[in-house]
Amino acid sequence: MSTIDISQPAKGDGLIKLTMLLGGVVFLLMMVFGLVMRAQQGGWLDLDPALFYQLLTAHGAGMVGSAALSGAAILWYFTGRHVPLRSGIYLAFLGLFLLGVVLILGAIFVGGYGGAWTFLFPLPALSGGAWEAWAAIGFILGYLFIGVGFLLFYLEIGIQLVKRYGGLLKALGWHYLFGGSAEDVPPPTLIAAASVLVFNTIGIVFGAAVIAASIINLIWPDFAVDPLFAKNAIYFFGHVFINATIYMAITAVYEIVPTYTGRPWKTTRLFVGAWFAVVIFVQAVYFHHLLQDVNIPAWALAVGQIVSYASGVPLIGVTMFSLALYLKGSGLKWDLPASLLVLGVVGWSIGVIPAIIDGMIAVNKLMHNTQWVPGHFHTYLLLGEVAMAFGFAAWLVRDKAQTAMSALDKLVFRAYVGGGAGFALIFLWSGASSIPRRWAVHYEAWQFQSQLATVFACVVVLATLGLVLRYVRGLLRSA
Amino acid sequence: MQTLILIVTLLVMMGVLALIMRAVLATEGPEPSANAPKTRSKVIWSMVVLGLVVSVTSLREWPHTQAGGDALVVNIESGQWWWDTDTTEIPLGQQVEFRVTTEDVNQGLGIYNSDMQLLVQVQAMPSYTNKVVYTFEEPGTYQILCMEFCGIAHHAMTYEFDVVEAGA
Ligand code: HEM
Ligand SMILES: [Cu+2]
Repeated sequence: MSTIDISQPAKGDGLIKLTMLLGGVVFLLMMVFGLVMRAQQGGWLDLDPALFYQLLTAHGAGMVGSAALSGAAILWYFTGRHVPLRSGIYLAFLGLFLLGVVLILGAIFVGGYGGAWTFLFPLPALSGGAWEAWAAIGFILGYLFIGVGFLLFYLEIGIQLVKRYGGLLKALGWHYLFGGSAEDVPPPTLIAAASVLVFNTIGIVFGAAVIAASIINLIWPDFAVDPLFAKNAIYFFGHVFINATIYMAITAVYEIVPTYTGRPWKTTRLFVGAWFAVVIFVQAVYFHHLLQDVNIPAWALAVGQIVSYASGVPLIGVTMFSLALYLKGSGLKWDLPASLLVLGVVGWSIGVIPAIIDGMIAVNKLMHNTQWVPGHFHTYLLLGEVAMAFGFAAWLVRDKAQTAMSALDKLVFRAYVGGGAGFALIFLWSGASSIPRRWAVHYEAWQFQSQLATVFACVVVLATLGLVLRYVRGLLRSA
Repeated sequence: MQTLILIVTLLVMMGVLALIMRAVLATEGPEPSANAPKTRSKVIWSMVVLGLVVSVTSLREWPHTQAGGDALVVNIESGQWWWDTDTTEIPLGQQVEFRVTTEDVNQGLGIYNSDMQLLVQVQAMPSYTNKVVYTFEEPGTYQILCMEFCGIAHHAMTYEFDVVEAGA
């Protein structure tokens, strides 16, 4: 395996730094939207429900978008350390992405679109007067631009991997898994890159299909789409896309943690096997979003339940366990980047537990579309993907003279963990109290939990502000 | 039931957390023992076995109950932003098959007891009929809440019905 010095600056790093700044600022802004929503649910604000649902839509799309953007920047940065990638393509990706963001924001805050980020057909066309068809079209077109940007992004990575390894299957390492030689197996980052590009490209293509159908329906309402098919497609896309964000960001752990432990992350058969499983599971698991759609065949529901569980095995048995082995006795000195990256894996690993449990049909009967659901995904996004993203950002601008955590770093980190964990756990508690998700107004009996969550959310927002400011200071110092 | 689910979930989360924290807190300690790969295999295989057991036990009796021959059929229609049923009085202890439809967008039928605890739910989808079977064991007033985001009045889409003793 080649040893590459990942700290050597390379062309295009400036774009990555800019992306992480954008991502960080949008994360922060969207958290403020989240805070406002939770305060509204706690009865501390009195927003017009239309505005609440616009904020919900913006928060969902904005957070998933920022997670995707930061994950993509991480993947590009490290993939580019192993194979040449053309910055021009990244620039085009970023441009298309931002164009999509402008359309989405315009649709929501000018056009009043509030149909949620995983919109269900035919809601975009039937707003009951809240928004016009053009706003829905703008929102959906925004997705289309982002999707095209991502297709370009993956195409470039795919081309370069194929050039380097002589085929996508080789870049995936699958030959090694099935008895091939260990010679020239790709490093972990490239296996991850190849795997994500395979499943996320498929996901985006399905997304594009439902997007195209929805746009046609908005223009000619007589063009009907089967709502069950549309729901399958949107959740297949949504599930694959949000998962891809973490599977891209994890490459920061593969590359950066070894610089602390002195133990390179290795491509073993187990590692390749885990990624092989991920490629299959990520695509087969989305049925767990349809467990209350009793009209789909029973086998699909069973697949949803069983694969939900199975998805936890490579994560906990391979990724988390490997991290534990790499850390133990390594003499690693904790600083902010290392702490955030490890937090990312921990948050991800424990966040999937409530997801897996909710993936059981019997449990889902009671938890589906309650706040249990934001409970699990805020755990593995807020304390998972986003922690990895801020860890990577902090590492990008690290001060090589500083080897330990300053008192301020410690405070920010603890506030982020404590606030985030408290905030996410309350969602689980609210879900167990049967409080539905996506409700603009909560009954009085539910408000205490929302209020408590609002307090935790304030802590998270302040900690995140600290992380963003620290990053900006680092950028200025290194510039 | 929900409380039990919450407790089990928190326990498993704590277990996984403990597993990783042992390493996180031991960076200065001894290196992993030579047995670590064996321990890992054990962890993976136990997860697989546990998964098989849980899957079989939880799916053997299909969790979406099928209606028996003497089930009472209750039709529930819905739309933006209302529910309507054949009857607002349902006999106690009688198996009921709800047949749920919607005339415009997706809705979610959630049935809550008077303690506002969710008892059962099913999706409502345009051009489909979704069935859910339930037997009420307690008399009283029940509520339907909408579980699927359906537009600006989603949170106001509620409905009430009573469960009454037969002959009452
Ligand atoms: C301070 C931090 C945060 C706060 C206060 C917050 C708050 C909220 C609230 C109140 C909801 C709606 C809950 C409901 O359905 O009743 C929500 C939904 C959501 N949040 Fe967050 N959130 C935060 C961080 C994040 C992060 C970091 C991500 C992802 C990277 C994220 C992604 C989402 C998504 C995807 C939804 C679902 C939107 C929908 O239902 O359409 N959130 N959040
Ligand atoms: Cu609704």
